[in-house]
Amino acid sequence: MASGGPLTPAVLHILLALSAQDRHGYGIMKQVEADSRGKVTMGPGTLYGSIRRMTDAGLISESDKKVDPSLDDERRVYYRITALGQQTLAAELQRYREVVAVARSLSPKTAGA
Amino acid sequence: MRWYSRLLRLYPRPYRERFGESMEQTFRDLRRERPGPGFTLWIFLETFAGIVRERATDVGRSAMARNVFKTVKYVALAVGALMVAGIVTVMLLARGTGEDITGVVAPALLLTILSVVAAVVATVMQGRQNRRKTRDDLAG
Repeated sequence: MASGGPLTPAVLHILLALSAQDRHGYGIMKQVEADSRGKVTMGPGTLYGSIRRMTDAGLISESDKKVDPSLDDERRVYYRITALGQQTLAAELQRYREVVAVARSLSPKTAGA
Repeated sequence: MRWYSRLLRLYPRPYRERFGESMEQTFRDLRRERPGPGFTLWIFLETFAGIVRERATDVGRSAMARNVFKTVKYVALAVGALMVAGIVTVMLLARGTGEDITGVVAPALLLTILSVVAAVVATVMQGRQNRRKTRDDLAG
């Protein structure tokens, strides 16, 4: 996963959701939905499967910090992006930029330039 | 809600222990937001797909680990057997010649002992792995 290959949409969106702040599972889901304008909807099966693989790969980790403890159940587990996760996200976004640049150079209309 | 808890029991135990509670919490949050049979069906299918994925990963991992221990065991035993055969051959060839074979036999003997230790450790690890798998299977 962190080997430099393209990330799956779920992993990319989770990294994006955690890049701004630590979030719990449901918070990640809501943020992914908002970031993708409702186009990416993941259920608990996909979300926690991705979280397991991402924690095993060192892209994210459990966080002690509660964003707003007064509003949350104390048992909720928050996740944070790691330095490796940030590097991986930056590399993936750079890859996207390069793909868009190639698409623009080939056909400005299809790239939405 | 009860059906979802039961569904989660189909996950491999380590996964369930790690994420089960969070998944139930997330399910409760989602249900509050999206009531209805469509949501229930979606969650069921989505979670079931997750169970199949995690089970497949689990089986793949344990099979790989079992194969590693088995390979180490057989390689170590083969090396040990070759060393013993070599030592015996050297001793037979040197018999009666008065030649000092300590320099050859001593490292070979050390390698034989290390091979036996590696084989024993791999066998013990393989046994532990098998017992753990049996326990997990029984625990469902």
